[in-house]
Amino acid sequence: MAELIRRCSNFFLYDGSKVTGEGDPTREGICYFYPEETPIDKQELLCGQLAGVGRCVSELSSSPVRILRLRRNKYAIHMKDDFFWALGCSVEVPTVSVCELLDQLIKLFCFYNGSIRQSYQLNSRETLAARWARYLSHLQSGSSELHHIFSCLRTIDSTNVDPLLLLKAALILQACQRCPLVLAGCILFRGRVVSTQMSPELTMKVMVHESETYTKAQKPNGLSSTSSSSAAVCSTTVFLTMSELQYLQSPPVDKDLRSHSTPHKDGPLKKTRLSRTLSDMASTESDSSDPGPSQSPQKMSFSPCLSESDNSLFSPAPSQSAADPLHPPPQSPEPPFSNGKHSHEAEEEALEQSYYQSFHSNGDGDSQIHNKGDDSVFEGNSHFNGGGREGDTACGTVFDFRGGESGNEESHDDKELVGDSGRAQGQTAEVGDPPPCYGAFDNPEESPLIPMTLYLHRVKGLVLALLVEPHFLSDTASMEEVYHSSLASLNGLEAHLRTISPGAPGAQGPYIFAHFDCIQSTLTTNLSGRPGGAPEHPFVRATSLLHLHFCNTETLQEAIIRSAGAAVYGTRSVAQETYFQQHGGSLRNSGIPNHQDSAFSLPSKARHRLLKHGVNLL
Amino acid sequence: MKCLLIASESAEVLFHWTDPEFQQNIQAQYGASQEEGQGLPAFEDSISTLFAPIIISCSTMVDRLGDSYTSFTTENNHIYVLHQFDECLYIAVNGDGEEGEDDLRRKIYVMKKIIEVLFGMVTLSSNLLRRELRPQDTEQRARLWKHLQSLLETYSHLRENDQSFLVEAVERLIHPTLCEQCIEFLERRLVQQLNSSVERAREEVLHAFILVHTKLLAFYSSRNASTLATSDLLALIIMAQNMYPSNTDLDDPGPEVRNTNNHSFYTPEPSPTDRDSNKRGSTPVFEFMDPDIQMAEDSLQTLEVPPPDPSTPRRVFLEISSKDGLYPMMPHSMYCLPLWPGITLVLLTKIPTNNVAASVYKYLEAFAKLEKRLSEGQEGSAATRGTLTIHDIRSKLDKFIKALGPSDLQSAQLQNVWTEFKNRAFARGGTGFNKDLIPWCKNMKTQLCGIYRQCFLIDSGPGDIPQRLSPGLQERAQTMVQEKLMDWKDFLLVKSKRNITMVSYPDFPGLIHFICVDRSTGQMIAPSLNITERTTSELGKGPVAQFIKSKVWSLVSTTRRFLRKGYSTVTLRDGDFYFCYFLWFENETGYKLEAGDIPILPDDSAPIGMLAWDYYRKLLRYYSKNHQGEVVKCYELLTVHLGVIPTEIILQHCRQLASKLWEPSRNPLL
Repeated sequence: MAELIRRCSNFFLYDGSKVTGEGDPTREGICYFYPEETPIDKQELLCGQLAGVGRCVSELSSSPVRILRLRRNKYAIHMKDDFFWALGCSVEVPTVSVCELLDQLIKLFCFYNGSIRQSYQLNSRETLAARWARYLSHLQSGSSELHHIFSCLRTIDSTNVDPLLLLKAALILQACQRCPLVLAGCILFRGRVVSTQMSPELTMKVMVHESETYTKAQKPNGLSSTSSSSAAVCSTTVFLTMSELQYLQSPPVDKDLRSHSTPHKDGPLKKTRLSRTLSDMASTESDSSDPGPSQSPQKMSFSPCLSESDNSLFSPAPSQSAADPLHPPPQSPEPPFSNGKHSHEAEEEALEQSYYQSFHSNGDGDSQIHNKGDDSVFEGNSHFNGGGREGDTACGTVFDFRGGESGNEESHDDKELVGDSGRAQGQTAEVGDPPPCYGAFDNPEESPLIPMTLYLHRVKGLVLALLVEPHFLSDTASMEEVYHSSLASLNGLEAHLRTISPGAPGAQGPYIFAHFDCIQSTLTTNLSGRPGGAPEHPFVRATSLLHLHFCNTETLQEAIIRSAGAAVYGTRSVAQETYFQQHGGSLRNSGIPNHQDSAFSLPSKARHRLLKHGVNLL
Repeated sequence: MKCLLIASESAEVLFHWTDPEFQQNIQAQYGASQEEGQGLPAFEDSISTLFAPIIISCSTMVDRLGDSYTSFTTENNHIYVLHQFDECLYIAVNGDGEEGEDDLRRKIYVMKKIIEVLFGMVTLSSNLLRRELRPQDTEQRARLWKHLQSLLETYSHLRENDQSFLVEAVERLIHPTLCEQCIEFLERRLVQQLNSSVERAREEVLHAFILVHTKLLAFYSSRNASTLATSDLLALIIMAQNMYPSNTDLDDPGPEVRNTNNHSFYTPEPSPTDRDSNKRGSTPVFEFMDPDIQMAEDSLQTLEVPPPDPSTPRRVFLEISSKDGLYPMMPHSMYCLPLWPGITLVLLTKIPTNNVAASVYKYLEAFAKLEKRLSEGQEGSAATRGTLTIHDIRSKLDKFIKALGPSDLQSAQLQNVWTEFKNRAFARGGTGFNKDLIPWCKNMKTQLCGIYRQCFLIDSGPGDIPQRLSPGLQERAQTMVQEKLMDWKDFLLVKSKRNITMVSYPDFPGLIHFICVDRSTGQMIAPSLNITERTTSELGKGPVAQFIKSKVWSLVSTTRRFLRKGYSTVTLRDGDFYFCYFLWFENETGYKLEAGDIPILPDDSAPIGMLAWDYYRKLLRYYSKNHQGEVVKCYELLTVHLGVIPTEIILQHCRQLASKLWEPSRNPLL
């Protein structure tokens, strides 16, 4: 909690339309103020002054205010219509991170509640205040300072996990997608991402609900309601922006192949999800509505990737996949482009990396295991292609993973299942929470928010979260199909993940590094990831400074900065940022240029040392 | 889209400067409600109305939260930087992306420095300063503001185009023999003659220097003068440039337009060309403003009669370090004598009443200390302890006031307040030394500032003979130096543009540019960056040179940001370039001292540099704590290399440059 206070000192939402006349008290306009125990007159002072100055400045510059700094605090500001959001942090937090945090917070709110104006029309302030508080605490809680600097997703430590499990998770998601009402999904374990098909942004939003149901599930007094599948299943309405939806709908899933397994019920939807080929894909990519600048790299990377895997998954004609230049022949032991990988354009790199969690082939006993950006990505895929093809005619089929362990696991899973569903009866499940406002539109010039449903299936610490069409809930057959098709695998996955020790963070080594994947928004580091990881740590300080500088200078590729105590090396490409600090060594130096100075050997050391962490800086 | 505004806490505009775009923007916003043709006050009104809510909110935040705004950024990247000095709020705005937050903050501090140089210790009393910056008389106000605006523009121009103002260190012309001759000439001939003349009116020349554009050819300080601080020297160069703008960049239209509008009454004769180009400078979009401009100019026209005597010195307030301590803002007279266009002789003299200023400063300091102690809750004798005890002051101040003579109003006021103070502090029935005395401390300070203002800021009455070196003497000085430099004149003008060039560094393949600064002496060396179309440098001309220039400029601001956070070594691979920055310490013998901790400063701290706030002096003081008894020197080196050069080679270059540059014997150029 101490950390929470340090990171965000204030947050408020102020509705200027409530305070128009001279006599209107400022408090009328305060929709939410954090910390809530702040005396009302201080709340009024802050809201009144900041909103007033904000309006004045935005009139002078004919543009909304973005950042407002005071000597002791800095505020990220968002102004829209009459609403004024301000998120205050201490001045040490990089400005980009504060702004990102505020954006995340607002988007999170809209994701679960729809448009701000309508939410406040339909709900009481108290209800929504509780939600703001929850989102705020979710965004701030439980990660290290480094996570905050990059605003990245929390993922499971993939170095500790059998790659096969990651593959398994990805396959579960793919199997669910065979139901046409399922847009995309992710699998989370104890608040960390195991595998996701969604953009990092969306995944982050989904995770809030997961953590929320998790805490609820822990409490015994949870409201009990059972779904038709009678398991720990719940759902809630969420709101997607147009671009998010388009992005989710764009993954090409071969309907022709699926059609015989799942009856079509979604007439209009078919249009957008008709069979696609890669070339098809490219054209829709280019003309599909403009995504936000932050989303565009994901669009470029994710979708082709999905098309890649899906094509290989479902394509009946092997020649097609072989013809694909990006796709190696199924049984090729070494993909032809494995060496060229890092010289490829960033989009390709992203393409490979975006699925690192899922694709870890170990079909052949001798496959090398990398933790990310694995070269054998498509091999794994093709194994599945070969092995899984027979079983995929019906969604409900429990996937039979080839390999020695699957037999034992299966029976084990079944037992789990029985226990699970029995217990699940008493557990929480909010099904069919009626959408508060359907087809909510914030205002005409803004992109509309489209209501969708977030479906969660919990197996202890493991959660399968799916974004589904709203009528999925009324479609009992589809629901059952999805439920049953995934249940056994989820149980199995959970059992395995549970046994994995949280693990001391990898070998500490005489160095610290942080590797940020901008495309997937994931972070790899050997700095102890305890919450509240000291921000005064020299490495964290340097990283935060360099990150800010990288953000501001597009052409900057690498940097070494040295203070009396520490020298830190930072390098970045379009897809990643890496920071490295070597411990020990002689720090005694005069600061005068000297080519024997250890600080200048950091780039080569980083290149060497980080290879074993799967970070390739060559 | 640039603006700089100084406002009092009650949102009264004490000074404003705007570029045409910003003015247009304000008027467009205000235009709807305001009738046109209201003249200068109308613009002042609109700017004050638009900024008033911000200014008032600022003081509310200070009063109620004890925190104040430091900056705003809008989504279209307009930046507002705010800084409060005492009761004056400075707001600098940029809306065209040419300046960042740091640049704006620097501008604010430089503006404050300029005001200090012009108004001295009057700046210590917000009340007096307010009246000084905003004279009741509109004509006087217009004239003062024009002068300040022009100084600010001169500074901005130099900061954007001159490397010495980029890094805030003085650049010397590299020509050892000529420099030596000139210094000798200044010492043996000029200063000696001036100081022995009867026409000097008891003034004493302390410093004399020759500027070629912004570069220093020779600098001489008389034996009993204290060192001229780099900060002051840079400020004086700005003033000299403002008086006699060099047209080095004739083919660069910006500065020409810039320099035209307001020099008419500072240059000896109002030149018709200036006025013509002023018309040229006002772009068609401002057609509708013509009446305003006309009016402003008309009012100036009236002021120009009679034109100020060019031989009248400027009063400047500079720092003096003497045996018994540092005295900031001591009055001097500055004589700026143009030798040829681009070459100027500057004389700084000590005025006879100098010691009054020193006394006033001592008393001010004593009352400020007392006030501070009292407000911290100390009472009685605890509060009065100090270097100068209040009892010392008592007798000294009594004598001081007696010496001033009770004849005039100001000293009579001081006498009254002082009597009241004594009654309260020392008399039996008085309150003694406690919090109740605080307002009286403040009052004493204001009165002292008033005395200071009267002695040094107000021109002597019309009947008096102005206190200055006689015009004849000035003329003789001018002629002497002109004769001395006659043969060198053209060489110097060219040399100042190509002081040193990269051609002289054939042993450094791949090195594109470097800047080396000696922060202990406040001097820098850098190859000239010529970016105009006419002159071709090694960097090529036009866009390429302009690109490299912009890289150098951004490198300096980047390294400052890192330095502020405690990083004294920075290397950056940026596009096709590799940049290095090093800061290190040496002792007098050139031995490299171990890098120490560098203090970490907040983002809104004073800008790093030497002009407005001498960061390096403080850094040296901080560092010297661990090197007692040693003279510590501080150096900086910035290099720009081609990115393809291997890092080892780049670092070798840097090392060679670092060790060679300040050793005259080994530098081919010195």
